[in-house]
Amino acid sequence: MRPWLICAAVCLAEACGAQNVEVRVSFPVVAGNGATVSTSGSGKAIFYLVGPGVSSKNEIKLGEEIQLRTRDTQNAGAYQAIVCSERCASATFYVSAANPASLTFLVHPSRVPVSQNDAVSGVAFPFDQFHNFILTPLSIEFRLTAGSAALMTQAVRTRAGVAWFRTTSGKSAGALRVVAALDNLSAQRVVQQVAADPCNLRIAGQRNRSGILVQTEPVRDCAGNPVPDGTIVTFTAADANGKSTVDAPIKQGVARVEIAASGGASISVASGVVMGNEIHIGAQP
Amino acid sequence: MNRIATILVMIGWFLVSQSYSKSADDLAQVQLDSKKAGPRAVENLTERAIVRDYRSAWTSLSHALEFNVFDPIEGPFAGNAKQMLKGTIARQQESGLRQRFLDQNHKLEVVFYAPEGDVVELHDTAEYQQQILDGGKPIHDERVVLHYIVLMTPSADRWVIRQLQAVPQF
Repeated sequence: MRPWLICAAVCLAEACGAQNVEVRVSFPVVAGNGATVSTSGSGKAIFYLVGPGVSSKNEIKLGEEIQLRTRDTQNAGAYQAIVCSERCASATFYVSAANPASLTFLVHPSRVPVSQNDAVSGVAFPFDQFHNFILTPLSIEFRLTAGSAALMTQAVRTRAGVAWFRTTSGKSAGALRVVAALDNLSAQRVVQQVAADPCNLRIAGQRNRSGILVQTEPVRDCAGNPVPDGTIVTFTAADANGKSTVDAPIKQGVARVEIAASGGASISVASGVVMGNEIHIGAQP
Repeated sequence: MNRIATILVMIGWFLVSQSYSKSADDLAQVQLDSKKAGPRAVENLTERAIVRDYRSAWTSLSHALEFNVFDPIEGPFAGNAKQMLKGTIARQQESGLRQRFLDQNHKLEVVFYAPEGDVVELHDTAEYQQQILDGGKPIHDERVVLHYIVLMTPSADRWVIRQLQAVPQF
């Protein structure tokens, strides 16, 4: 018996003098490479191939080799080669994935505040040209860059076909490019880094004809990144009539409101969980 | 006479529907072990949803490959797995073959659960009676144990199978 042949199954006619038929499949079988099935015996038979994406039925002559077409073995998985004459004999064989041809790369989140621990993560899966999942260990390099600065480069070996990373977001707002590379394959995703919570939130106010005009200084996070426009800033005014609260979005870096109050008032500011300073404005003269 | 014929037709329909529904409703047994899941832990509700949807997917797969119809795989499968199954059904329609997966028992192990919970990789040690029929004639009938690598992702209302690939061993 040639060593590269496997006798995967033998179905014997146990009685009645029917001929023994053996089905053998050359191995290993790699996706898209085709394969050879050999049978023993003589005479006509029907050959069935059943596997992922395949189901065929052909007449054959026993004892002759059957060439499986490359398109019959494109999907990795378990296949059954069945030969039926007086009885049926079968062989199970496996097709494994071919060389890497693409990377599926999932990165989260799409938008992240700067300097957040373990905030950015990515998962990469290698696939061959037929979309078979590659399970043999491969080294995937993850590269994170913000502008021209490299934030992280890490090579991770796939386990059970998967490589992943998790890391802290960068310190400055802007695009964070995340790349997964395997040999000459690469997949890129972009994470938008935005300012974190405001830091050192300060307001100033002055009375005008209709009330008190209050405005923040340019709102930035602790790393100096401008907090995005649209972020809500809450102003609270306390005077002799009680408390009133006004929300205002940041526009062009600052938030401003006009509070109707003729008497003296204390005005404080907050954004999210961050508190700012408090100011006191005297009564209208 | 007409009444007797009607009763006979109804009995016939009942018997046929019973024999069809036996395999289709032959719900797969699914057990899940998530102790080795990582980097994210699998919560109880997620575990139950995966078991429910994996069982449902195999029931649908069995139905689709037994009766050579596409509809059952529309919901539970996506991506590569769906394409592969559609290809199998289309080829079976051409060749006249059918497959039955009876008395299914799946032992699932979570080997990877993504940090953000958007993909889970499972190892399934599946044991079932595989029957292959040419028309109505059985050409293969074997109790098999197969190892499947499975990738599932959450969709709007369920976990769907994106990759279903048999391997000789884990």
